[in-house]
Amino acid sequence: MSDATIPAEGLGAAFRTQLRVIGALTLRELSARFGKENLGYLWLFGEPALLGSAIGALHLVTGHTMPGGLDPAFFMVTGYIMFYLLRGVINRAPGVIYGSQSLLYHRCITLFDIILAKDVLETAATMFVMALFLGGCWLILGKRPAHIEIVMWSMLLMGLFAHAVCLLLAAGSIYTEVFERVTHLFTYLTMPFTGCFYMAFWLPTDLQRVALWNPTLHIFEMMRYGLYGLSVPTQFDQPYVIGWIVALNLLGMAALRAARRHLVI
Amino acid sequence: MIRLHDVSKSYRTHLGQREVLRGLNATFAPGEKVGILGRNGAGKTTLLRVIAGVELPSTGRVERRMTVSWPLGFAGAMHYNMTGADNARFIARIYAKPVAETVDFVREFADLGAYFRLPVKTYSSGMIIRLGFALSLAVDFDCYLVDEAIAVGDSRFAARYHAALTERQARSALLLVSHIPDVVRSYCSSGAILDNGRLTRYDDLDEAIAIYQAA
Repeated sequence: MSDATIPAEGLGAAFRTQLRVIGALTLRELSARFGKENLGYLWLFGEPALLGSAIGALHLVTGHTMPGGLDPAFFMVTGYIMFYLLRGVINRAPGVIYGSQSLLYHRCITLFDIILAKDVLETAATMFVMALFLGGCWLILGKRPAHIEIVMWSMLLMGLFAHAVCLLLAAGSIYTEVFERVTHLFTYLTMPFTGCFYMAFWLPTDLQRVALWNPTLHIFEMMRYGLYGLSVPTQFDQPYVIGWIVALNLLGMAALRAARRHLVI
Repeated sequence: MIRLHDVSKSYRTHLGQREVLRGLNATFAPGEKVGILGRNGAGKTTLLRVIAGVELPSTGRVERRMTVSWPLGFAGAMHYNMTGADNARFIARIYAKPVAETVDFVREFADLGAYFRLPVKTYSSGMIIRLGFALSLAVDFDCYLVDEAIAVGDSRFAARYHAALTERQARSALLLVSHIPDVVRSYCSSGAILDNGRLTRYDDLDEAIAIYQAA
């Protein structure tokens, strides 16, 4: 940007400044959300745990089983934790700029830094919940995930995907309030399609082809490959997902940069 | 040095596009103390925001060849749910200052007593202004942007702030916007008038004040 932050700054120095700022923002966010006076961290565990127990109880009562003989509670909870990451990042997007205006008084802090810091924290926190849940299942039930590193990698991809959507929504929120009104509705309505509660192989072949246009389904399938290994058929195309992530992130960064000029603080 | 190159700023309103700054060109040198006079609504605050980089100009650009503070005034720059001490820690981190020293300096200078350990939302407006000034002095900018607010701090604090700025006389520049000539006179050595979206510089502060009062 032509209006430079500090005189005589090279690209390397600018990069170090940005890393420092993102670090400080992440620390600040950490104490704001998970500080000792805040029970935010409880819900991080509480929500998937409640859902897991409810679904488990429901299936126990009705005696329903799942395709492929999967354990419903385990399937739902892992799916929900991943969805929780997607929803958490996206739902916050339209309000993120308004809520962080005081930070923009400091020229070294960019909108991108603010959003990245929040999303990094959200992704890390959700990965931690997943690790705890899987660790618990392993210790108590002796159920060991096939490839834990692929589960974590898929969560990182979901974080990057959600982050890109968040950038786009945040940029849009500078121009109109519409996103604030419809984002929550949209995340709930699309919940069944994201892939959190179904697998591609449950669908007829024609429908599978259509469903697999959706990049989030690939990410869920990847996670399930990490959980179940080859005992359950999964379908995912990593380059396809990464292509989406790169394209959406580039678009999001460009949109945010263009919108910054119109932001009134 | 700060240079404004054809800086314009307009806002979209229900009544159409409103142009607040119209093609401003100006240079502010290191160590200069400039009082910018303007009536309410003349665009003083907008000018400071654009110089600070809080908002970007609609056209033109701002060239900064020295470090420039955020606009010091009633609001902004602080997180209201965090304590004064946590705000100081955060500022130290983003501006790459030693954390412990910064916190000590801000505690000392802002003189908030026990409130330093309480969330900023519990502060009075005078306390918020004191914290804001203390934070900005802790970072040690080359140029301070001040929005009227000096007049609001109590006289004891105003004296300390005046002393702190004078101590930095040689290196720190000051851009002070106000609609009160007396405030400008006690801090500045040259003047400017912002009127109808245009900025006119006067090397002689008394001349600027005379023209401002005549208008």
